[in-house]
Amino acid sequence: MIKVENLTKKFETITAVENISFDINESEIFGFLGPNGAGKTTTIRMLSTLISQTSGKITIDNRSPESDGEYIRSIIGLLTESPGMYEKISAYDNLDYYSSFYSISNTIRKNNIKKYLKMFDLWDRKDDLAGTYSKGMKQKLALSRALIHEPKILFLDEPTAGLDPESAHMVRNFIESQKKEKTTVFLCTHNLEEASNLSDRVCIIKRKIIRIATLSELQSDDKNKRVEIVFTDDADRYIKLLEEIDEIKNIQSDKNKATLVIEKPEISNPIIIKKLVDSGAQVLYFNEIKATLEEIYLDLIKDEEAK
Amino acid sequence: MKNAAVVFKKEIKEVIKNKNIWMPILIITAIFSIAMPLVFILGSNSILKDEDTLNFINKIFGQVGDPLRVLIGFILKQLLIFLLILPAMVPSLIAPSSVIMEKENNTLEPLLATPLKTSELLLGKSLTALVPSFVISTINFIILTIVVDVAAYIKLGYAPLPTMEWVIVAFLLSPILSFIITMASVIVSSKSTDIRSAQGIGAVIIVPIYLVIGLQLAGFFLLNITYLLIGCLVLLAVCPLVLRLAVKIFDRENILTKWKMKA
Repeated sequence: MIKVENLTKKFETITAVENISFDINESEIFGFLGPNGAGKTTTIRMLSTLISQTSGKITIDNRSPESDGEYIRSIIGLLTESPGMYEKISAYDNLDYYSSFYSISNTIRKNNIKKYLKMFDLWDRKDDLAGTYSKGMKQKLALSRALIHEPKILFLDEPTAGLDPESAHMVRNFIESQKKEKTTVFLCTHNLEEASNLSDRVCIIKRKIIRIATLSELQSDDKNKRVEIVFTDDADRYIKLLEEIDEIKNIQSDKNKATLVIEKPEISNPIIIKKLVDSGAQVLYFNEIKATLEEIYLDLIKDEEAK
Repeated sequence: MKNAAVVFKKEIKEVIKNKNIWMPILIITAIFSIAMPLVFILGSNSILKDEDTLNFINKIFGQVGDPLRVLIGFILKQLLIFLLILPAMVPSLIAPSSVIMEKENNTLEPLLATPLKTSELLLGKSLTALVPSFVISTINFIILTIVVDVAAYIKLGYAPLPTMEWVIVAFLLSPILSFIITMASVIVSSKSTDIRSAQGIGAVIIVPIYLVIGLQLAGFFLLNITYLLIGCLVLLAVCPLVLRLAVKIFDRENILTKWKMKA
């Protein structure tokens, strides 16, 4: 659905995005992660035909933004990071205005306005001025606006920012449901738990692409493996013993639990177990802890900064 | 074209609701189309009693048979120029508000992500300033005509308006001026985040209007059809330049990367 090849964007002397390439399949949720200034918004703007690339190629639904910008804009929905609304007109009129630019019949348009305002619990306040809405309500209205023409591709920049937990949950469920609708979702978020739960694959970017993979691929490739040992007694009693093992990179303890960071579990785990058993330690559990996306992300960004 | 009409329809609704735009227009109408012509025409006898005024008329027009008619004709020339303040002022009030509000509300990016063409957006926004400007200016010229004709008829038994000069000012000079001010306001608005400073463009154009009036009062020249047509031609030559600049500024990438936005 989206194909990006060697994409670069320069603003005068600053390179915002450098030589990035990826493919996104139909109905895939693609998490696009990176620190502030990593080039996420610039990439979204290029993909949504708002700005042109300095070099490289973009193909969206087999069309090029250079020759088919209007078509591409008709099949995408964009939720910007700071989504604004016309404050002095009603929520309904806001959606009515934006939806007028798409080639959809009046009946479908009006049905969709009703559908999304109801879906996001805004129907009862449809005639209120958008300026009177709370931040969360505006975010939901902006999301309705992005969906109003039922796009094939959704670009979501921080979709749950500013939402209360209940609304954020509703939005996440909605994003997940888009898979069934065969909508491709390009999800930019700083909420790594959200990205981890929703994305089929994630792309970590800092001007250049650092890594594109599924969460399980990232976890299995993570060089820092973690194991948790639960003792029947206080873990601090065994810390000195564990510190003698060179293969352990880091140890943390809390009550009867010790968390170890190791590089090669196939080598270090037998050594650790043998040492503990030989010393007469009472081990209750010995578990592998899968790294969270946040931990992997922070490691990758740290490594990138160290380069 | 359909999309430009959608933009125009939505914008014009907001303009109609905006008192900050309507109040100055009503004040200008009341002063220049009603109060000033009534005062000058009905009080023309008193004005003529002043020796300096008679000397002025003799200096400009030579010895004339009916100084009252000449004086009223001269006053009308000034009033027509005064009324050019409206086609200059109305777009300078509307266009910056329309552009800068989009920036303030962060509504431009989602709008540009729709199939709406930037040329349609520019056309829609320009019409929002141009149409009210043309309508208001025409209404004011009509009000001025009625007020002047009724007052002059009561006073002198004849109706001096409309004249050819009136037609040129109302239907040629006024729309051209509106167009230039609209485009200039769009250009200035793209670089500004403050509505008031962008609206200042209207104030700038008022300076040459006062200059023309001042030069006439000082006796340097008297506006006639030839001068007005030359003025139209000069302004017409400026139109493609401001249009080209506005179109260049109203480019998607320019709007998102080069326009000065609210922090």
